Amino acid sequence: MNLRLAISVLLFVAGLLPRLGGAIDLENHPGKAIYQKQCLECHGKNGEGTDDADVDPLVGKRSLESLTGRIERTMPEDREDECVGEDAKQVAEYIYHAFYSPEAQLRGKTVLPDVTRLTAEQMQNSVTDLIGYFRDASYPPENEKPGLKGYYALNNKKKAGKSDHKTERFERVDPNIRFDFGTGIPKTPEGIDESLDQFNISWKGSIFIRETGTYEFTIRTRNGAKLFVNELDDKEEPTIDAWVAPNNEVREESGKIFLLGGRRYFVRLDFFKYQEEKALIELLWKRPHGSREVVPSSVLGQDWARRTFVSSTTFPADDRSYGYERGSTVSRVWLDAVTDIAFDAADHVVAHLNELARTKDDDPKREEKLRNFAAEFTAHAFRRPLRKGEKEAYVDPHFAKAKTSEEAIRRVVLHAITSPRFIYPATAFEYPDDPWAKASALSLAIWDSIPDKKLWNATAKGQLNKSGQLEKEAWRMQWDQRARHKVAGFFDHWLELSRSNDIAKDSELFPQFSEQMMSDLRMSLELFLDDIVWSENSDYRQLLLADSLFLNERLGKIYGKPEIKGGFQKVSMPKEGRTGVITHPFLLTAFAYHNNTSPIHRGVFLTRNIVGMTLRPPPEAIEFKDNEFPPNLTMREKVTELTRAKACMACHSMINPLGFSLEHYDAIGRWRTKEQNKPINDDGVLKTDSGDSLNIKGPRDVAKYAADSHAAHEAFVRQLFHHTVKQPLLAYGSNKADELENQFRKNGYNIRSLLVKMAVAATEPNTPKS
Amino acid sequence: MNPSIERRRFLKQLGVSAGAAPFLSGLPGFGSLMAGDAKGPKKRLIVMFSPNGTIPEEFWPETAEGKYEFKRILKPLEPYKNRVAVLKGLSNKIGGDGDRHMRGMSCLLTGKELFPGNIQGGSDSPAGWASGISIDQELKNFFQANDATRTRFGSLEFGVAVPNRADPWTRMSYAGPNQPVAPIDDPKKMMERLYGRMEDKENLVSLVDDVQKDIEKVSARLGSEDRQLLNEHLNLVRELEKELSQQDENKELAHPMPEIDPKVELVNDNTPRISRIQMDLMVNALANDMTRIATLQYMRSVGQARMNWLGVEEGHHGLSHEPDNNADAKEKLTKINEWFAGELAYLTKRLSETPEPGADGSMLDYTTIVWLNELGKGNSHTLDNIPFVLIGGEKATGFKMGRQIEFPKGTPHNRLLLSIAQSMGHDIQSFGTDMFCTDGALNLA
Repeated sequence: MNLRLAISVLLFVAGLLPRLGGAIDLENHPGKAIYQKQCLECHGKNGEGTDDADVDPLVGKRSLESLTGRIERTMPEDREDECVGEDAKQVAEYIYHAFYSPEAQLRGKTVLPDVTRLTAEQMQNSVTDLIGYFRDASYPPENEKPGLKGYYALNNKKKAGKSDHKTERFERVDPNIRFDFGTGIPKTPEGIDESLDQFNISWKGSIFIRETGTYEFTIRTRNGAKLFVNELDDKEEPTIDAWVAPNNEVREESGKIFLLGGRRYFVRLDFFKYQEEKALIELLWKRPHGSREVVPSSVLGQDWARRTFVSSTTFPADDRSYGYERGSTVSRVWLDAVTDIAFDAADHVVAHLNELARTKDDDPKREEKLRNFAAEFTAHAFRRPLRKGEKEAYVDPHFAKAKTSEEAIRRVVLHAITSPRFIYPATAFEYPDDPWAKASALSLAIWDSIPDKKLWNATAKGQLNKSGQLEKEAWRMQWDQRARHKVAGFFDHWLELSRSNDIAKDSELFPQFSEQMMSDLRMSLELFLDDIVWSENSDYRQLLLADSLFLNERLGKIYGKPEIKGGFQKVSMPKEGRTGVITHPFLLTAFAYHNNTSPIHRGVFLTRNIVGMTLRPPPEAIEFKDNEFPPNLTMREKVTELTRAKACMACHSMINPLGFSLEHYDAIGRWRTKEQNKPINDDGVLKTDSGDSLNIKGPRDVAKYAADSHAAHEAFVRQLFHHTVKQPLLAYGSNKADELENQFRKNGYNIRSLLVKMAVAATEPNTPKS
Repeated sequence: MNPSIERRRFLKQLGVSAGAAPFLSGLPGFGSLMAGDAKGPKKRLIVMFSPNGTIPEEFWPETAEGKYEFKRILKPLEPYKNRVAVLKGLSNKIGGDGDRHMRGMSCLLTGKELFPGNIQGGSDSPAGWASGISIDQELKNFFQANDATRTRFGSLEFGVAVPNRADPWTRMSYAGPNQPVAPIDDPKKMMERLYGRMEDKENLVSLVDDVQKDIEKVSARLGSEDRQLLNEHLNLVRELEKELSQQDENKELAHPMPEIDPKVELVNDNTPRISRIQMDLMVNALANDMTRIATLQYMRSVGQARMNWLGVEEGHHGLSHEPDNNADAKEKLTKINEWFAGELAYLTKRLSETPEPGADGSMLDYTTIVWLNELGKGNSHTLDNIPFVLIGGEKATGFKMGRQIEFPKGTPHNRLLLSIAQSMGHDIQSFGTDMFCTDGALNLA
């Protein structure tokens, strides 16, 4: 196994805790003898573990005090009395300094970033942006009213071929496409002749796509309609063709399209009513994790997005064994996917060649422009200008061999995209201080993609070397929706949102539960996260402490706010003790059984993800069998009974009180005051990392503890860094974790600012010499 | 439907993807080709459509005094005269909504009314799609339901210069009520459908070579640990290269993939080229038993093809409206229809030159071609006396060819659809609108 990777899973302890220096004599340390006698059999000579014992390496982030307490309570397994008091203290000190602590791990080593390939997400984004680089960017106008621009035309056409009919036109912005005109006509501005009873409408604008995946659009209509998504020319095959309308009956026609998240796409819906009695048109969609709904106005805008190349190639999942996605493995399926996306891209480039290379068929300089385009394309794939000899290797031979320029371009695109210099970004650069390498690292960290025009030009002008310039670029780049998409990916991971994919609930106990409800809850959680992260303060603590929920009409009925009408709004819910993500009904529902709460699932989630502690796998797997308990017990009583054993309590002393704190929320996250006719008890005593006992009552105490907890901050910083940079934190300096966390604290726990610092850190990896 | 989602993945198409079955067994009709001759002769059907009516004087053969002589329009089919039957007197009797072009087109193979709808033609009331299945799709379902006649595709719908719009004028095949089937008019797409993206194979072979060199070059500068990942990558590329070279050794298709370049720009003036490529692909697909049903749709009803290659600059549909006394228009329309017959002759020739796999004779002996039009005559928009032509297939159908058969005026064309179905072994007694089938199938034997 790769040693550098092994170290990367280390969990760090940062500045606040006492650091005992290197003056300790480990050879003659009294703890060493104890270790050899009582621990070595299972944990190995240097804490690496033994094959027989199946224990994890003795490395971690606990403080010495915490480690001592843990040994005192839980070690050696089944003989816990044999190593207590002074013995436990001594052996802990030895273990801590000999191999457990981060410093011990790092002794004499420099961790370097691994050469990794682009992850699936990075590959998709990079290829899309590589082609998009050659198109003019479009920016949404600020403060535009959400919705699509509708171009209305009313007429009195009764008979084909008669040109004596009258037509009147007007425009307006429609927040949604959801109209039942009945036998009437659209509401018209003043002065329009309302006797014109036939009409057609063309809605145009853009649609914002948050999450990468397959979107299913549906047109519901009695009449004729066509939908174009990411197709700018209405002569292209529509995403949905429902132009022919038999019998004036309501019908639904659907079309699926794969789209990359964090981007806006052009959308156009054409509609017409002709001599039919009634008119009705609705535009619906189903997001990757959603249920079918009218496309909400919040994702619609009136700007016309440019065409975006999107390949629907599916990549195999990236390695996640280190807790974050890394491009550290290759496989045949992956290679096939790389080949597929390269061919897709080549097709697209050739199909739009004149546009991308800014030429025309009869341009006398076409050939020259195509060659220049080919060289530029390759340069941007390598994320730096071509070096001497590279044009001769990557461009010229293809033009020499291919029969047509189009064929040559096809091969250039294939060659560039399958080249290791594109796929393994680090291999394109020869020295670490190369400003092009920094630009590449910055854009991968913020967008999972290649540098855009502004970053490229700044790099070419040598501006990245100026102090503060990298940070300035990072702030600029953070405003792009792709950056938000990437951060959303972190929350998906941190909050384990994929768990919700196969949730089911007892339909008698929870008739409210539905796919629609989960879809709404996911949207509610996304709105909550966006609201905090992309606000000015971007305060991490608010993720845990804010007492608000986003509810729409449907959710309002379920969660005790029946007065809410229509779409989502932010509602303060202090009485129920709602406190940030901890009590968000989406997570409470995901971490619960089909017919009841699950304090264990909730507790484990809080322990690992929110409070930032590590947990070992249970020594033996015990299934929770509801029917083996007397029926009148509460869930809390059952769990207490089940985990009573000492071996269990090593971890459940942490898990249970955290899980119990949420017992006021039922299996779909509604507030409750009783279970089995007994009042809910959400009190508990939490054994903290530093060995203290903390009385908690309800989730707000947990949130307050986590918001101030050093371990929680440290875990958040570490996980966010790994998601952002996809390399071990240690490869960016042995004290980078401390530095980032200190900055985080100093900046009022501002997440956006932390992200900028991380992106800059990504440009400064350790080098073999440092 | 978004084309990129529907597109099957490139390497899978090449059959070289990991875990894919060996190249050939993944190919169409391989199994049924082998098992083919177990149950009687193969029966195939090709339907060819050309639009906007014909010029009757130049179309209907001279039959006075027992003669059977082709006039200008059918002249290109002269070499196959004794294999051609011309059916006179058939009408598309389907009434209801939609103008006659629409009904002519969308009721031609369905024999059933259009739904009322929102599409307005040049006259009559607006209409929607056809309310029934078309005969080609009916026979497809019939063939696909039986092991002995099932093929990989069941049916293939070819188009030539069909405009990219979906309405009752552009669709003649229907999988069911309200379910029009779009023809594929891009030979490149058809080639991909039939054989995968083989034309990209050459690119892939040279690419695999380039990538290996690149990886070796880049790896040389890396430490041994980092090199490991790139080495694995390199091994995978080598594996792919090996599979590609092995494929070349396997060429066991009954009829190898046609050596044609399907990349042709879909513009009006390329129509003659597209037409031939499509027919070559069709004959090849039939020979490899990928399908036994094929349609070939030229343009669309009301199509405005400008046949510059014939010296005709006006749009086809516009010309077809010219009155009978416009000699120039008549001449041009004759030329246009002659050209369609010439294309049909090419298809006939290809089939007659291709030996029937696993049986005596040529493919033409087992393939019935039906050439039809949505109108009888362009300027009157009549649905009477539609020019129906049958060619070949005698060994499969027992039809008697080499003659013009005159039916009483106004014989519903549903009865022809019925005859075709029965000749293919599908024993149905009614097709489309029942009232037009009461007299049963036409006797063509």
